[in-house]
Amino acid sequence: MDVAMANAADLYYSGYNAAAATNVGWLNWSPAIGWLSISPEEDLHDEKEAMAWQYSDDYALAGSSPETLDHWSSSTVSEMTLSSAAGTPAEEPLKLSSVGEIDKGIRLIHLLTAAAEALAGDQKSHELSKVILARLKELLPSPASGSSMERLAGHFAKALHCLLVDGEAEDNCSGIETTAITAASQLLQDMSPYVNFGHFTANQAIVEAVGGERRVHIVDFDIMEGAQWAPLLQAFMSMKDGPPPSHVKITAVTAGRKSASAAVQETGRMLAAFAASISLPFSFAQCRLDRDGCFRPAALKVLRGEAIVFNCALHAPHHHHHSPASIRSFLASAADFGARLVTVVEEEGRDTAGGGKGGFLVGFMEELQRYSTLWDALEEGFPKQSKAREMVENLVFGPRIAGAVEEAFRRREDDVTECWSEWMAAADFRKVALSFFNQWQAKLLLGLFNEGYRVEEEAPNKLVLGWKSRRLVSASVWSAQPPPADAED
Amino acid sequence: MFPSKKPTMNSHEAGPLSCVQGDSGLVLTTDPKPRLRWTVELHDRFVDAVTQLGGPDKATPKTIMRVMGVKGLTLYHLKSHLQKFRLGKQPHKDFNDHSKDALDMQRIGASSSGTMGRSMTDRNAQTAEALRMQLEVQRRLHEQLEVQKSLQMRIEAQGKYMQSILEKACQTLAACENMQSSTDAYKAFNSHGSIQIDIMKDMASPMAITFPSLQDINLFNNNQLDHHMNQDDTFFRSNNDNNIFLGKKRQHDFYNNQSGKSPMIWTDQDQFGSGQEDSCKSEQIHEISTSVINGSLDMESMMDVYEATPMVSGEECRKAPVLTKEMMSPVIRGGGLSQGRNLSYG
Repeated sequence: MDVAMANAADLYYSGYNAAAATNVGWLNWSPAIGWLSISPEEDLHDEKEAMAWQYSDDYALAGSSPETLDHWSSSTVSEMTLSSAAGTPAEEPLKLSSVGEIDKGIRLIHLLTAAAEALAGDQKSHELSKVILARLKELLPSPASGSSMERLAGHFAKALHCLLVDGEAEDNCSGIETTAITAASQLLQDMSPYVNFGHFTANQAIVEAVGGERRVHIVDFDIMEGAQWAPLLQAFMSMKDGPPPSHVKITAVTAGRKSASAAVQETGRMLAAFAASISLPFSFAQCRLDRDGCFRPAALKVLRGEAIVFNCALHAPHHHHHSPASIRSFLASAADFGARLVTVVEEEGRDTAGGGKGGFLVGFMEELQRYSTLWDALEEGFPKQSKAREMVENLVFGPRIAGAVEEAFRRREDDVTECWSEWMAAADFRKVALSFFNQWQAKLLLGLFNEGYRVEEEAPNKLVLGWKSRRLVSASVWSAQPPPADAED
Repeated sequence: MFPSKKPTMNSHEAGPLSCVQGDSGLVLTTDPKPRLRWTVELHDRFVDAVTQLGGPDKATPKTIMRVMGVKGLTLYHLKSHLQKFRLGKQPHKDFNDHSKDALDMQRIGASSSGTMGRSMTDRNAQTAEALRMQLEVQRRLHEQLEVQKSLQMRIEAQGKYMQSILEKACQTLAACENMQSSTDAYKAFNSHGSIQIDIMKDMASPMAITFPSLQDINLFNNNQLDHHMNQDDTFFRSNNDNNIFLGKKRQHDFYNNQSGKSPMIWTDQDQFGSGQEDSCKSEQIHEISTSVINGSLDMESMMDVYEATPMVSGEECRKAPVLTKEMMSPVIRGGGLSQGRNLSYG
């Protein structure tokens, strides 16, 4: 073990420079340091080294703005890690140095990564990961207290644990839970542009594309509480250059399970009530996926003359019907229906080019990165409102983390992670450029929150929201129809 | 003094019947719902104060109020004005850049044509070009303002919708809970709830405060000041009161006294009445004003949406932006604008 750590120290020093480390959060430390696993398994070591180099390249962002206000003071981390590397033998309790929290944080990440790595292995290493997780549990205080990092690590540890224990069905259908979750979702919307960025960008594109039509039919892949549509309906009613549509219909795609269906029906009622309040003729329908989770075009009732919009907002990838196959079937159907507009909102930050080399561990690290970004962003924006943040963390991010980790585990054998905007381009959908209005709206939206958020135009039809240097979510707009004759391209 | 022109970035609704100037120098309208008029002078003082404090990002309503030292100016006024200012500042930055370019072009054109004996046509062409640029800039600015307005409206629509969902969920919950009698459920609920109520107090975000003013108005109009205490009794109340749901139910009836309609029917009254969350939020605004507002985060309320043009045709009730000191004062007095004052009445 000590030998491994000594090697690790070399790895760290040679493969990773402190300057690069200053810029991004604490997460970057763990991959760069090779001594992740305390496993006696020697085979893993080479893989770890390979990964360490890969990660240090990926995550070393020299030149990005060093304004991370994480716990870590960048200058001390390098010394910190070294001292912890040198001073911490395999088995004993955590040795805290003066910047104890950073130390502990690194240790937590290492343990998490080690556990994940072990999980990706065979049965024997599963046992190891149980041991690691038990150790993690010891180190982590109760969920209620603890620093940001500890809470984050706690969620991920729990997610890993669920993988091991298996079959722990999360059934939070009780009324109390859903209410609290709704409240937490609202909090998240209030505290960050993470959710609304996608919604508003897609909505503005929809208004521009079909606002002048008589009948509009929106097919929504995952309607959740319908929060995206209330602003759109309102936008239809306040269009300046023409009358609003005479009828708007929203069809929500559901997985077909009874509980999901009931929830969606409720959403439909609420949307109908909202539409009534602004005097917009509205109707709502559901459309079930088939048993494999694939979209059945026959199940969608479409009238002639309707302007069809397919909306695919993948905010909650842990939902059961978010498998790549079902998303693919949905988007492909958009082409079949000749959708006027297809809006895609997806999470960014996944390595889609690298293929499935790292398998579960890569996926796990990506999720860890993503949620640590979100954690940071929330904390920097609302340093004092810890209870609010915790509520969001526990009720919104927690389940998502569990689902995302599970998804990463399930897909560890897959060759490629889908980037849906790339898929759309490859599937010959036409790109629909985002208007100045849309881009300016995104900027204004970000301006309402703290300064770390950035929006970037990756393509004429795609905007990406990021926090500091990390990508969070993207919105892209497509069409299955050829451009109208009079429009400039 | 009667203001002859509105402040540059004022997007308030026009239309007071007449204006009077109070002793403090504030101009208040005299229509039935008096509100503050942001005169040029007042706005200039505002801008001075903001600049003094380091810009709209660093200034907070509280500090601005202190610096301006204008009597009768409330945090409410300042918050909404600051938010508008901040939102408005963004496009202005761009506008300034563009216009600067346009002016530079003009200057270059003018100077080059002045050196040698240029023909009239050239000069005209350059002027025309500069004019075109100016027009372009103007158009852009106008569009940016449009975006700003529409964004505000959309954010508010979403907030309103989320609110309705939350309320509906809580009502359903209350109904369910009244039928059962499991204390476990209460406990679980309260554990989330106790977080919620504190969160609502802590919470200060650009989106969180959506439509408080109308609730306030309605409350005041209905002489519900006595029940101001109850505003704090959100369904997430954390006092281990086992009658929490009964209490909530009672309040709901109280606020919904106009109609026994189910909350699914979205009427104007529901907006006003079903507002425990809302009324709690109106307190939050004041609470927010008492907490330290970090300038880097825009914490201003969205209340000034009401002072902008009405959102949608179907909502006549929302046309009246009525945020005046008088209207607010009971809540303000109750809530306390001084720092550190605890708003809970429990």
